Amino acid sequence: MSSKKIEELKKRRQIEIRKKKDQKTYALLVLALWMILLLTFIYTDYQYTSVWIIGLLIGITLQRTRFCFTAGFRDPVLVGSTSILKAIILGLIISTIGFAFIQYFAIGGKEIVIANVPGNIYPVGIHTAVGAVIFGIGMVIAGGCVSGTVMRIGEGFILQIVVMVGIIIGTILGASSFKFWDLNVIKDTKEIYLPSFVGLPLATILQIIALVGLYILADWYHKKNNIML
Amino acid sequence: MAEVKLDCMYEACPIPLLKAHKELKKMKKGDVLIMETDHTCSITNVLEWANKQGYEVDYIEVAEGEWEIYIEKE
Amino acid sequence: MKNLEKIYKKPWPYWIGGIILGILNIFLLLFVGKSMRMSTGFLYWGSYILDKIGVDLDSWYYFSQFDDVFRNNESLINNFYTVIIIAAIIGSLFSILLASEFKVKKVKSKKQLFFGLFGGILMGYGTRIAFGCNLGAFFSAIPSLSLHGWVFGIFMFVGAYIGSKILIKFIL
Repeated sequence: MSSKKIEELKKRRQIEIRKKKDQKTYALLVLALWMILLLTFIYTDYQYTSVWIIGLLIGITLQRTRFCFTAGFRDPVLVGSTSILKAIILGLIISTIGFAFIQYFAIGGKEIVIANVPGNIYPVGIHTAVGAVIFGIGMVIAGGCVSGTVMRIGEGFILQIVVMVGIIIGTILGASSFKFWDLNVIKDTKEIYLPSFVGLPLATILQIIALVGLYILADWYHKKNNIML
Repeated sequence: MAEVKLDCMYEACPIPLLKAHKELKKMKKGDVLIMETDHTCSITNVLEWANKQGYEVDYIEVAEGEWEIYIEKE
Repeated sequence: MKNLEKIYKKPWPYWIGGIILGILNIFLLLFVGKSMRMSTGFLYWGSYILDKIGVDLDSWYYFSQFDDVFRNNESLINNFYTVIIIAAIIGSLFSILLASEFKVKKVKSKKQLFFGLFGGILMGYGTRIAFGCNLGAFFSAIPSLSLHGWVFGIFMFVGAYIGSKILIKFIL
């Protein structure tokens, strides 16, 4: 969408712009470096080759789509936009289906032993809530979550290198005070794996219904157009 | 019709959007806001937001990784 | 040719990103046995530095509890996290260079520097007590059908709300 006024301004500005440098050669050099390391991994650390390939694809996807978890959580409260949140929910729905199949083949018909279930399953309790609030504040004022920081370092933001140093310091501080949290809070909590209660197929279906419901809710909220300012 | 320049160079997300919102509130109908930014996310989130508000909006790349976003207040 | 240029020059819509990341997360769990996660990698890098300057990490409660994290030949530097983080940085760099939009973006002010560093420290601390970041404790945890992913997601909104208030008051 562009009006006549804007077209005119653009045309006027276009004349002043010098020819932009093409950076594709550098892109190919970077890719060549990546490939050399790929070959190295194939011959030395085969277990890393798939991580190396998928990691590259994650970086490209994050950059190309400007995918930002921070904005996904911040923009609904700040400017009333949920387009990234909806995209995140879409990703969650897809991976829920995939994860469920992987978990199904890992567990089989056997009794569920949480330690053997593939995926990220950790104890849940007050510490999860406190950690999430601290993390949420941090990502908004730093202007990027962990994946956003990684993506923006690649884009050339010096600020995000500072954020990364902050994250390193923070994780060290967190690890050094982990004893306090573990002995006082985490020790009394357990992993809660939803299929333990209703079985894997039903848990998967219920979760997908919940996510679809959230998607519809987010879509409705988007149209309300709230802004915090 | 007035043109208002808004310098958002080196600002991190979501400052450019919030600054634009503040500036647009002060402007009259038909005025154009020219926002200079080098934040890669601005050309998606500012554009999306402006579209949603019903403003006319477009952008050009003025140098490698630098953009000017034009928003006309309706 | 014109269509091809559109692919690497124009930003893709968010929903495509959501779908691709969801699929990549499945591939990671399927082929590597680990879902998408990054924050622990930063802890290991920091620990590597501490180890080099002579801090005794083995006496730390955290490391004695999780000493089984390393497989046969893995170390604080040579591990899954380092590989995925570096690969993602290279992917992002490659992608922005292909669009010819790379530019080194300097830090604007002391205030920006302070909030960046402080925000990073908060994020890092949060990941340790909640067992992960936006990827490990949320984007990979919910699909794992673990309740902690849902709790983390809900309370991340609370954090984002407080963060937005701070942003408007002090940073804007």
